[in-house]
Amino acid sequence: MITELGNILLSFSAALSLCLFSFIFLKRYINIDNCYNFSKNISLIILIFLLSSFLVLSYAFLTDNFSLRYVAANSNLNLENIYKFSAVWGAHEGSILLWVLVLAFWCFSIAFFSKNIPKKVIIDMLAIMGILILFFLLFILLTSNPFDRIFPIPLNGNDLNPLLQDPGLIIHPPMLYFGYVGTSVPFAFALAILINGDIEPEWLSWIRKWVIASWMFLTIGISLGSWWAYHELGWGGWWFWDPVENASFMPWLAVTALLHTLIVSEKRGIFISWTILLSILTFSLSLLGTFLVRSGILVSVHAFANDPERGLYILVFLTIVIGLSLLLYFIKSSKLVTYSNYDITSKEFILLINNLFLTVTTFAILLGTLYPLISSTLNLGKISVGAPYFNFIFSALTLPIVFLMSPAIFSVWGKTNYNYLIKKLGLFIIFSLIITYFFLHFYVGVENFIVFLAIVIAIFTILSSLYKFTQTRILSANLISHIGIGILIIGITISNYYSSQHEVIMKKGTKITIQDFQIEFNDVKNKFSKNYTSKVGIFDLYYNKNYLVSFFPEKRTYNTQKNIMTEAAIYSTLSKDIYVALGEKINDNSWVVRIYYKPFIQFLWLGPILMILGGLFGIFGNLNFYQKKLK
Amino acid sequence: MNFRFSTLSIVFFLGIIYFLYAGLDKDPTLIPSPLIGKTAPNFKSIDLITGESITNIELLGKFYILNVWASWCYGCSIEHNYLMNMYKNNEIDIFGLNYKDEKDSAINWLKERGNPYKKIIVDTDGNIAIDYGVYGAPETFVIDEDGIIIYKHVGPIDQNFYNQIILPLMKK
Repeated sequence: MITELGNILLSFSAALSLCLFSFIFLKRYINIDNCYNFSKNISLIILIFLLSSFLVLSYAFLTDNFSLRYVAANSNLNLENIYKFSAVWGAHEGSILLWVLVLAFWCFSIAFFSKNIPKKVIIDMLAIMGILILFFLLFILLTSNPFDRIFPIPLNGNDLNPLLQDPGLIIHPPMLYFGYVGTSVPFAFALAILINGDIEPEWLSWIRKWVIASWMFLTIGISLGSWWAYHELGWGGWWFWDPVENASFMPWLAVTALLHTLIVSEKRGIFISWTILLSILTFSLSLLGTFLVRSGILVSVHAFANDPERGLYILVFLTIVIGLSLLLYFIKSSKLVTYSNYDITSKEFILLINNLFLTVTTFAILLGTLYPLISSTLNLGKISVGAPYFNFIFSALTLPIVFLMSPAIFSVWGKTNYNYLIKKLGLFIIFSLIITYFFLHFYVGVENFIVFLAIVIAIFTILSSLYKFTQTRILSANLISHIGIGILIIGITISNYYSSQHEVIMKKGTKITIQDFQIEFNDVKNKFSKNYTSKVGIFDLYYNKNYLVSFFPEKRTYNTQKNIMTEAAIYSTLSKDIYVALGEKINDNSWVVRIYYKPFIQFLWLGPILMILGGLFGIFGNLNFYQKKLK
Repeated sequence: MNFRFSTLSIVFFLGIIYFLYAGLDKDPTLIPSPLIGKTAPNFKSIDLITGESITNIELLGKFYILNVWASWCYGCSIEHNYLMNMYKNNEIDIFGLNYKDEKDSAINWLKERGNPYKKIIVDTDGNIAIDYGVYGAPETFVIDEDGIIIYKHVGPIDQNFYNQIILPLMKK
């Protein structure tokens, strides 16, 4: 019953999305208003159908319907209900279903929130979204159907991967998908513009909100992922330059570049051709990310199965869609090229540099990610590109971008008064140098040129953004996001350079001293839960010999798959974390214990929170304190 | 649009597609070993626990895994739980190759964690490991009844290794 219902809903949606696509041709022959209304309603119906199929699958999970192969493989009678629900997108088939559902959601949103955009553009955009939906539905129906049956029906399921049984991972994938799939909106827009051949500034202002939304979701998704890695993996790390992480980071960089070039195109009518190309590239990177994740062709900590058939399907689609888009671009874009004069001190120029650096960073990361593949294909041997390459590339290319944030904020279109810029910014640079010096010298205690440079740039950005706020009294999207980036840079730098880690064998009742903290190992107890048993370490934390808190790091063994999971215990303050993870048992009295001291790691989550806030302001309007005063 | 730029972009794009396509049917975790499909190298050594002599002739006729381990190796303690599971569930014969280790610490290590091995081949100076092309510990070889190495895994193994690699190989 469930199988039939699910398949019918998916097939109908596929047929409807083909209809949606057909309007790209039909709009010449039928009345454009009718055509628009049809498209709009079809997008609503597709959303309803796909949402229903998603709910049907969720229902199958919640009622332990193990007659579905997918449910049997990823759920278990003893699984908590919330995880039964999140198991819906816990593996490949469900993930793709969620993916297409999100695509339908964006498609519906374009249709229903597009007041000032000409109908012909919207119809084309919906048609392009339609063909994308059709592809993913065919992908599901042909290679990865979550509604496939299994016979004989197992009495109990195989359980959800214990790594995924965590609150952070319930929302991490959906957020990422909203971000990934959100890049299809500017992509569809870019193609619609190329097809129609004209463009207005207000359309760009409209599309920018969608790009901000996608950027915001990607930011949430990526930071949740690293927050989870930090809390759950037990190694104190939060970013590994893993292919799958890179797959989400490359679209983020591209979307960030797109956000900025859209501003220039909107306000000055230039770089339009580049904006269009970047929109296509951004979506290509999202598709590439999907391909890397789903085909398993690179070694990744995200243990996905290697499945050439599915990979091939996505690859063929990727080639067709991106290849055709690029061709269309190269044929049509010459119409969109515009020229304008701008000075080296102008906002245009600074944003151009920003785009240049962001694009180069993206390609450098792409190269590093694909290099193992290239070298093994060319028989140059199995090579993996590690963190040192990425860290170097990233800091060398990102710090200039961050440094340029302040001049960008203070510059104006066309030509900025050079003296004004130097006077304003020079003062802030001197301030930042002084603050950084005192901060590093007295608070952190160690000095290093790269650290110094990074912190100066971060503080420079924060100070100048705050100053701009006091001038304009408008808490705008860009200021708050830039402050967020500044805070993030401080967090990354300090936690990278001044963390300490101690892997020790501790006997019960002994203490270890780290900085001003003492950690006492008391005992290890057994704990039994519904679907796992666990060893719980009991530690006390003292600060200068005064008792602070107790820690309970765990080592869990999940019953069904016999996987072992580490649950670290963390004592967090704004300026430092103490992180304790239970290692291996040596004998009844002693255990391997991993203790990390992580200064300023909280800034890694605080920065993105501000960036997300900035994204919200960008979509819904800035907080304007100036106007309030007038009233 | 500049013709040269467009051609270059298309070539770049197709290049990436080619590499992605070429990567599709390769398993990235596989580190090639020239020994796969060949007879396991001969050795003559003693058993760690009993001290009796042991040669590869005695292992012929069994389907087994040969696990390279050492008490100094951190990855070995990670995979040890899975080896113990396999041992307790009697899933497959496990032989150990104790690699560049000291006798006392190796025995103590096993006393604390349990001994999943049927026999443990002592390889104090690492000569046997060289014959087997061992990169480091832990490594695991799957060897069939005819004494042919049919699979080699680098790094700690887990339950998936048993389910996805050993089981299908055993069925063949």
